[in-house]
Amino acid sequence: MQILAITQWHHFAYMIISLALLGFGAAGTGLALFRTALTNRYDQVFPVLMFLCGAAMAAGTGISQHSAIRFDSYLLFTGAFHPGRLMLTYGIFFIPFCLAALAIGLTFTKYSRRIGVLYFWNLVGSGAGGLLALGLMWVFPPREIPAILALIPVFSGFLAIPRKPGAMMLLTATLSLICVTATILRPPALVPSEYKGLSRAMQLPEAQTTLEKNSPYGFMLVFSSPALRYAPGLSLTYTDAVPARKAVFNNGDWVGSLPARQQQDAPSVMDFSTAALPYTLEQRHTALVLNMSTGMHVVQAISQGVERVTAVEPNPVLLSLLAEELAGDVGRLLKHPALTVINSDSRTWLLTDPLLYDLIVLPTIDTFGGTAGLNAIQEHYLFTKEAFGNVWRRLTPRGVLSLTCWMDYPPRHALKMLATLADMLAERGIENPRNHIAAVRSWGAITFMVKKTPFHPEEISNIRAFCRRLNFDPALLPNIQAAERAFFNALQDDLFFNHLDQLLSPERTSLYATYDFNIRPATDDRPYFAQFLRWKSLPNIAEHFGNRTVPFFEIGYLVVFLTLLQAALAAVLLIIVPLFHKPGQRRVKAQIFFYFSGIGIGYIFVEMAMIQRFVLYFGNPLHAAAAVISMMLMASGMGSYASARIKALWTKPSAILAGIILLLLLESVFLTPLLLKTIGMPPVSKILMALLILFPAAFLMGIPFPAGIRMLTEESESDIPWAWGINGCFSVISTALATIIAVEAGFTAVMLCAALAYGLTLAAGRLYRQGSMKVEYET
Amino acid sequence: MGMAQEEAAMNKRWSLISIFILLFTPSALADDAYQTRREAMVRTQIAERGIRDKATLQAMRAVPRHLFVPPHLAGSAYEDQPLPIGYGQTISQPYIVAFMTELIRPKATQKVLEIGSGSGYQAAVLAEIVKQVYTIEIVPELGNASRERLQKQGYRNVQVRVADGYDGWPEQAPFDAIVVTAAADYIPPPLITQLKDGGRMVIPVGAPFLVQTLMLVEKDKGKVKTTSLLPVRFVPFRRSP
Repeated sequence: MQILAITQWHHFAYMIISLALLGFGAAGTGLALFRTALTNRYDQVFPVLMFLCGAAMAAGTGISQHSAIRFDSYLLFTGAFHPGRLMLTYGIFFIPFCLAALAIGLTFTKYSRRIGVLYFWNLVGSGAGGLLALGLMWVFPPREIPAILALIPVFSGFLAIPRKPGAMMLLTATLSLICVTATILRPPALVPSEYKGLSRAMQLPEAQTTLEKNSPYGFMLVFSSPALRYAPGLSLTYTDAVPARKAVFNNGDWVGSLPARQQQDAPSVMDFSTAALPYTLEQRHTALVLNMSTGMHVVQAISQGVERVTAVEPNPVLLSLLAEELAGDVGRLLKHPALTVINSDSRTWLLTDPLLYDLIVLPTIDTFGGTAGLNAIQEHYLFTKEAFGNVWRRLTPRGVLSLTCWMDYPPRHALKMLATLADMLAERGIENPRNHIAAVRSWGAITFMVKKTPFHPEEISNIRAFCRRLNFDPALLPNIQAAERAFFNALQDDLFFNHLDQLLSPERTSLYATYDFNIRPATDDRPYFAQFLRWKSLPNIAEHFGNRTVPFFEIGYLVVFLTLLQAALAAVLLIIVPLFHKPGQRRVKAQIFFYFSGIGIGYIFVEMAMIQRFVLYFGNPLHAAAAVISMMLMASGMGSYASARIKALWTKPSAILAGIILLLLLESVFLTPLLLKTIGMPPVSKILMALLILFPAAFLMGIPFPAGIRMLTEESESDIPWAWGINGCFSVISTALATIIAVEAGFTAVMLCAALAYGLTLAAGRLYRQGSMKVEYET
Repeated sequence: MGMAQEEAAMNKRWSLISIFILLFTPSALADDAYQTRREAMVRTQIAERGIRDKATLQAMRAVPRHLFVPPHLAGSAYEDQPLPIGYGQTISQPYIVAFMTELIRPKATQKVLEIGSGSGYQAAVLAEIVKQVYTIEIVPELGNASRERLQKQGYRNVQVRVADGYDGWPEQAPFDAIVVTAAADYIPPPLITQLKDGGRMVIPVGAPFLVQTLMLVEKDKGKVKTTSLLPVRFVPFRRSP
């Protein structure tokens, strides 16, 4: 995933890995068709599969980076060769998953009576593997990790070699050792898309990477070139030089430019941007900078004389670089006496910080020129209605919130930003939001400033003077005149301003319904600020901009749909079609299908919803993912193990499933309030709380799969690999499906769908057992 | 000369003529095909979308766009879309090139600066109209290739420099117009300085392959103003209540 996120973007990584995981489905089908032959030769086949898996893991990355195979995400919709190369990449990553799944499924089939213990170790191994990969990321660069991980299946293969290994086994063992050794000694070079920020920066003269650091937070690079400058939305009245500065990239994407330490009262390029707006009203004494990144807003605050600046940054690796290796480049910024730096998720900090501030600065959203919708499925918990409410509560009575976004065309970000602000103010009983919101627009960016108390005439006058001085235009002021909105920076028409006005009126919800892009405010339940796609509007957008442009508007979200369609198609080919060639009643086959697909869907839905809920709680997406995945897998593994020991657990699957459904329904209602209530606890207490919340349901969720396998062992052993494949396939489909449901309906809906999926499993299981009892009775 | 000798000479002549036809007709036919497509491009993608400037239309008809894209994309050169040219760059959609050209109000007496030569196509279009084009490309491979391409096409009034476009081309300033194709998140102050009073600068803004907004910068009596233009007029879909 990390390698694909570096060379492409994380959505494509997600798409490719999702398809690769369909190897599980293919394995299930293969086992179903050749079960007898494979299980009879288990001792020979298992090690061979492990060796081949190791070889494929080691060699796969290098092969996928070969110039004849490497694809570029941006060229998928324009280049003739790239769709074909994408298919090849699928195939390359599909192979190791398929081989591993064959080995696991074969073991489940061969030793189905010990399924409880086997499934326990399978889940424990999955959890441990995830943690191991995270650990390796701290130590090794990304290109070296696949070969290291490949040692695990190779080692497993050697452990399983029988007394008399066959020629094939010796051959594959040798092959795997050669592949792994060669890749460890000469790891493949990673070649990012030529359209990634880093690739384009590498074209600059004297471009060089001065520092590299890998971690689970990404592959971070510090980059320099005498031609690399950063002056976002710089006023056209600025006449001094724009200095070249080093920049930081993460996974090949721009993070920020390293600011020079500013002296107080010495102007910087940031003072010639719309982001300087909040400093025009009055002297700010305290400021909170959220998602400080490389510190441009921090330096601006300090240079504007703010006495106490609190800066929050979720990425500890970035902070560590700024504090140590890059300290000299940023003038030892993190040691500045006025600055306090907090390593936390910004939203989590807002919920726990008791202090009030004169100024709160949110990070600039999106990039200059746009990202073609690549951030559409990225959760932005800092840009929801609730988040803006949290910010409002942290302001002093005369405090202001400042947020900047790039102007895009057709306008989307600015409109959604204002809609969210307007909704937040309305919920706080502010009857006339116009008196509390000012906005200033340059040729490329717009900054909104929201004040707790209404703007008074002197402040409005200061804003106008700021605009005149820097060739900006006021877009929103309490008494704005039409003529001043586009004096220096004209637009094609007044439509944008009309929309701004409508969003501050009670009729704003009608604009949500008619505008061709989704500008409805994001919420904590649907925190996808950058998701602007409206399916109903696609024909209109295609008509205006052409069919070939449409994918680039919202490519991130479209990729998720593409993943779902591909996964569903592959699942049909791998699971449904073979169904018609297998002997047995179709009714029974349908019951098995629904039983195991329900488990696959339900488990993944719960996992994904929980990860998102705990991101805010732990203040760190990595900690949240690691905690949820490891806790759930461990708990489910224990449930599976216990079900092997305690007969009551696997002889009453309906009761277990009913318990799961009840817990999920309760959590969908009470989880968020509980987390918000306890978010201020110390870290150890939070971990225990997470365990308390996750363990009961996850424990029970580990039982239905082995219970189902036991059911098949007694009634229809030949269907076990097929059931295993169904479960695997739907786990893959569910990843994309959960994302779509979360974007369209929210995370609560995802939890409810999970409960529904387990309900499907319950119903299918009961029907299957009733059918078995009926046959037994009739017999 | 006897009958047999005459016949042999005639056969030889016809052979030579046949060889000539076989060798040159395919390329001639291909050139005709590209010309036809170019005419169709100008008619359907440019003129019908409101580009009126005769010089611009003529320049778009004259420049063989298919020679400015990678060979394997020549077949798509006249389609209504941008195309990749390597190094993370694209050649703009034909309509955008025409729109940008028309926006600067090109005249035969003008001196124009281009920042971001890319394939050299925009420079070639400008060179068809104005007196002199100075174009800067920061990527050496692209800059050198576009220089060679432009020279091969016979454009003598284009100078190509491989350099950082931030500094502009001070020794040739001021310029009647500046076309910035490699847009950044700021407009370099030297470019504003090097723009003649009364001059126009045009900058496209947008992610690769996305429809680009065009920003027009005008300098008049020392004051600088901008206008953002969306080439495709976007009017939100009005649904009946």
